[in-house]
Amino acid sequence: MALIALLCAVVSNALAGPERKLKWTGAYTEPAVRAAAGTAKPAPPAASAASAAQTGSWAPHPDKPWVEVSGADVEALYRRGDVPFLDARRTSAYRDGHIARARPFSVWEAEIDDKVKAFFGEGHDPSGVIVVYCSGGDCEDSHTLGQKLYMAGFDNVLVYKDGFPDWEKRGLPVTKGDKP
Amino acid sequence: MNGVGPRWFVSPWLTIRVQLGLAAVFIFAAVAKIADPPGFAHEISNYKLLSPAAVNPLALWLPWLELILGVCFFLGIYRRTAGRVAAILLIVFIGALSINLKRGRPVDCGCFGTSTKPKTEAERLDDMKLAIVRDVFFLAMTAQLLVARKDDRG
Repeated sequence: MALIALLCAVVSNALAGPERKLKWTGAYTEPAVRAAAGTAKPAPPAASAASAAQTGSWAPHPDKPWVEVSGADVEALYRRGDVPFLDARRTSAYRDGHIARARPFSVWEAEIDDKVKAFFGEGHDPSGVIVVYCSGGDCEDSHTLGQKLYMAGFDNVLVYKDGFPDWEKRGLPVTKGDKP
Repeated sequence: MNGVGPRWFVSPWLTIRVQLGLAAVFIFAAVAKIADPPGFAHEISNYKLLSPAAVNPLALWLPWLELILGVCFFLGIYRRTAGRVAAILLIVFIGALSINLKRGRPVDCGCFGTSTKPKTEAERLDDMKLAIVRDVFFLAMTAQLLVARKDDRG
């Protein structure tokens, strides 16, 4: 029974589309640091976070995979217009509504590592701010995506702690569908 | 009498209904998960009980095992083997939910696929308790299959 189930799983996953496919080796990674990094656990945002967002002076944090930021910070960063926003939720959730201009980067779908590599290949500044988000609450997908971006070489990933529900509550721009 | 236990508990009338009930439960649970392996992997990961390396293989394999169990129950083949495997799975599910309940860590059960409705922590904890009660009931159903029809070599 176990072997037949394994065979079915292999065939099913091989035939699955990009949204259904799952890597056997796992897309999820535990928080870790790059070889040169010193601090394993990311710190909470600094007290001056809001003013940093408004002035666009977020400093890179090569010792931490990500830093959590509040909705007010994220709103200020969004208004700058030059900050990439990445949505770590499932593609189906993204399609139902996402932060306008955010790109789909579901950490649970098989293409995520390729997407992160491609994103790095687009020539974004490794020290530039990137905002990642998921569903707020106990959702950890944005942290997982932050970790992946950090491992790819990005030093300034900001996790929108309260995520998309908070964005909607604030009445900020939302787009539906597959496109950012 | 074909089995051990009270006559009503091991009656063929009850056995066939239990068998079909378990078939429906396992097939329904499997299909929802097979339709969305990344969602199920996410749910397994939320339990924080397994190594991250084990999450995806389990998310891919377990729903198919459930489907095969459901088909065995439905067709009445390898009933006792399927009953034993189902009982082991249910004990594991009850254990996983109980550990997280004891930790005070609210998780979506993931038993019948991915939950899309946002829930509060209190709602999730209540759902976990309900899922444990439900799984104990299903476990009793597998026990019925195992003690009834001792002559069944399946």
